[in-house]
Amino acid sequence: MSETSSSSGPVPFRNPGWAGNTGAFDLSEEQVRGDDYVGVRPADGGHASGAATYPYMKVEKSPEAPLFEGPYRERFDKILSRYPESRAALLPALNLAQELRGHISPETMREVAVLLDLPEAYVRGVTSFYTMYNKRPVGRFLIQVCTNISCNLCGGDEVLASFLKHTGTELGSTSADGDFTVTEVECLAACGTPTAVQINSRYYENVTPDSVPAILERLRKKGE
Amino acid sequence: MAFPYEHEREVRILSRGWGDPSARTLEGWKALGGYKALEKSLSMSREAVIDEVKASGLRGRGGAGFPTGLKWSFMPKEKTGLQYLCCNADESEPGTFKDRELLRWSPHQLIEGCLIAAHAIQADHVFIYCRGEFFEAVQVLARAVEEAYAAGFIGENILGSGISIDITVHSGAGAYICGEETALMNSLEGRRGLPRVKPPFPAAVGAFGRPTTINNVETLCAIPHIMTHGGAWYREQGTEKSPGTKLFCVSGHVVRPGNYELPLGFPLMELIHDVCGGLRPGRTLKAVIPGGSSVPIMNAAECEACTLDYEGVVEAGSMLGCASVIIMDDSTNLVKQVRRMVDFYAHESCGQCTPCREGTQWMARILRRIEEGRGTEEDLDTLLDLGDQMTGTTICVLSDSAAAPVASSIAKFRDDYLALIRRGERVGAA
Repeated sequence: MSETSSSSGPVPFRNPGWAGNTGAFDLSEEQVRGDDYVGVRPADGGHASGAATYPYMKVEKSPEAPLFEGPYRERFDKILSRYPESRAALLPALNLAQELRGHISPETMREVAVLLDLPEAYVRGVTSFYTMYNKRPVGRFLIQVCTNISCNLCGGDEVLASFLKHTGTELGSTSADGDFTVTEVECLAACGTPTAVQINSRYYENVTPDSVPAILERLRKKGE
Repeated sequence: MAFPYEHEREVRILSRGWGDPSARTLEGWKALGGYKALEKSLSMSREAVIDEVKASGLRGRGGAGFPTGLKWSFMPKEKTGLQYLCCNADESEPGTFKDRELLRWSPHQLIEGCLIAAHAIQADHVFIYCRGEFFEAVQVLARAVEEAYAAGFIGENILGSGISIDITVHSGAGAYICGEETALMNSLEGRRGLPRVKPPFPAAVGAFGRPTTINNVETLCAIPHIMTHGGAWYREQGTEKSPGTKLFCVSGHVVRPGNYELPLGFPLMELIHDVCGGLRPGRTLKAVIPGGSSVPIMNAAECEACTLDYEGVVEAGSMLGCASVIIMDDSTNLVKQVRRMVDFYAHESCGQCTPCREGTQWMARILRRIEEGRGTEEDLDTLLDLGDQMTGTTICVLSDSAAAPVASSIAKFRDDYLALIRRGERVGAA
């Protein structure tokens, strides 16, 4: 909690994923995710049952990438095969488009509408309903800080302020170097390890205002 | 690796594989006795499986606590076409963080539970609807599903039983309301996540217009254990009306927040002071939200004798919900926290019912005004009046959920509001 950890200068960032209670654990990447953890599914989606799962945000985006070609086309076809009606592939298709392009532009909505034979206005309506679709381009790292009740009780607002300060951005905007976009997010379901922060696809937990510089440094150096 | 959330008073049934990476592989799960329950269940009639679950007294872990066996029995006796099972893994109730751990530490437990449930309700296809943010958990789950397909536990003619079931992992895209069962089905169909009017109930007209049952991750994870050891064994834990163990997600101002698997009926004060290591030094208890942000707030006096089962928490003046216990000590600025919760509901309202769409926004604006020291005492009456009109007047209960913390906090912590209104004084900093 912020009161206990902010007393003595900068605290090294210790918990890449989850950790137990308030920074008392120092777990390696392997320990956090397990030795057998397979990070990202192949571009063609692997087995059709999991083809609709995706890395939410990639560091490098390709806004001009076609929808969908090569392995991505295979993945899209696998997704289509899992539902009794093609409309159900809309959210997975938008997810896939965002994985490739980084955000969902009006042009992307039009293309997805054509792919699934749906009205363009319908696709816009669905896209605007869901928070995870970025309607505008975002930085290489999309930093989403939970400020809902459990994190808020333990300093979520201060963590958000620290991210804004150290990236030099305003809420919702992207830093001049294109590296960071900082936003507020609703409960990430990691309330036992406050403050929870999602950076691109990955959760960072037990984040305190003091651990922010170390996280940003790590992102700049090593990517995720 | 020692899993950080362990405590000696826990009864680890659902959470026993947590922290052990090998438990998430097919081989590792089988070494823990996995997939024996599936084999046993497939050799039983579907009615016999439902009877065993009914005998266990298992109640839905998604918040409402509806008996699971009974819910399954609502599905058509005579099958006329495709039927579906949806697993609700759209965990997004503030304060709840159990399903993510179940997904990423014991995915095969969930898969086995899904398959047994699908057999019991004659479902052809299981859709596991995961919240979009669960990137990591979903990768682990998708890998496990792939393994189970390869081993013949999912797909055509499972283990030679003649029964065929498919499983698909589906990711949402960030909408709290999609945790409501009918909104989840709309979202799965590729629509905006708007809750549907009931009736018709999902067991008659569900996903893709077909009979559907929707169960929470934790509910389905309990099924293999019930089928292995029997309904009577499950009843050895918990209370008469709330049998079994429950994952308690404890967050907020305690020394050791985390997930603890305990028998239902566990005393709240022992959860706080023994299992979770108590409050931070020098602090006193101010308020507890026992079931996620949608249930009424309890004051310290109400917590004293409260036991954590569905009936016990109602008696103490709130609801167990999904057992997401949020602890607040005397440093808490309660008005700010209530305003933050209402902001959340205002953001997540799907907008189809006027009382909710307008009411949540009004409440948020009034609460912000009070928080900034510009409120009046009449504002409290307006809030209560709004809350009345938002309760029981909408298609789903999101509106009621937004009103609950406001009404209960005004009733129990009126002085916090008055201090801000009369003197502009904030009570508590957090």
